[in-house]
Amino acid sequence: MKLENYKVIFVAVGLVGVLIFASPALSLVLRLPGGERFSELWVLGPGHMAEDYPFNVKANEVYKVYLGIGNHMGGLEYYRVCVKFRNQTEPLPDALNGTPSVLDPLLEYRVFLRDNEVLEREVLFSFQSISFEGNFCRVSSLVVDGCVLNVDKSAVWDEENHGFYFQLFFELWVYNATVSDFQYHNRFVGNWLNMSIPV
Amino acid sequence: MSGLLRRRPEGFAWLLLVLMVAGLLSFGPLCVRGTGDASASVGEADVAVRQAFNATLDAERAGANVSGLILRLNEAGGILVEAEMALGNGNSSEAFSKAGQCVGIAESVRSDADALRVSALDEAQTVFWTYLTFSVAGIAAFVVVLALVWRRFKRGCFRKVLGMRPEVAHDEA
Repeated sequence: MKLENYKVIFVAVGLVGVLIFASPALSLVLRLPGGERFSELWVLGPGHMAEDYPFNVKANEVYKVYLGIGNHMGGLEYYRVCVKFRNQTEPLPDALNGTPSVLDPLLEYRVFLRDNEVLEREVLFSFQSISFEGNFCRVSSLVVDGCVLNVDKSAVWDEENHGFYFQLFFELWVYNATVSDFQYHNRFVGNWLNMSIPV
Repeated sequence: MSGLLRRRPEGFAWLLLVLMVAGLLSFGPLCVRGTGDASASVGEADVAVRQAFNATLDAERAGANVSGLILRLNEAGGILVEAEMALGNGNSSEAFSKAGQCVGIAESVRSDADALRVSALDEAQTVFWTYLTFSVAGIAAFVVVLALVWRRFKRGCFRKVLGMRPEVAHDEA
């Protein structure tokens, strides 16, 4: 092998060595791009599984679901979960435009999560007064985690699905430190509830 | 008093009426102020929690371990929700008390987060200079050693070339 070839090998070894020795300092300056940033929101049934969700509900019985939030946004986040209740005709959040439901939240949860941290909390709910009049069902108050909330919602009998349908749903909002306010995070989960007529 | 009641019953009735009106007039503004104060306190608590979050976020970005602060922030957030619920239910005194509790926790979190951020920045600076010194010294030593090796290697190559003798070819014919 010629001397010039050895020279090239020495230069290559030199460059690799320089990079190895510079790596501790470079690691403090260079930031590698992270993965996709997102948040999770889910509801599980009483057995911590995606099954046995409360569906046929009646007054004065307590129902349980688990609400989960996961942070994969790359840093600490301040979340607000708005608990809302609607009948079939009232609007849901608009997933295409990323706008929340216009309904007022009945209750809120505020949660602080670090990156890759997950929180799952129990949500207990019951209905204190459900009245039925002909084709109408009226729910006056909902109890969530012991808080009595006046909802005063009515639903019309659904001929197609045979029931009086309401939906308890959760919207995820995230705090934006730049604008110092919460912004809808375009995530919501809900649970359909059929108000059962007492026999 | 019983003498007054017996002698002038209508006078006593007037006195009672005046006292009741005065009582209502003084209680009314108190009620209004109570609700307004509670609402303002809940607003202050909300701002305090946001500021505590911002401070914790800065501390985390500076590289501090903020696990303990997050537990307290979650506690403050829970109390803030309770204060808002109490305010919504018209329970001003509970809302006021919960908001005060929340502000106390949020302010302690903020001051701790500021202290953690400063110490994390100091630590980060020390780590930066240590790493930079190691890198610069390491590179310099490596380059010097590599140059010495190259010189020795080159000299060895030259010696080898200069020490070569021409081979004698045998004519077999």
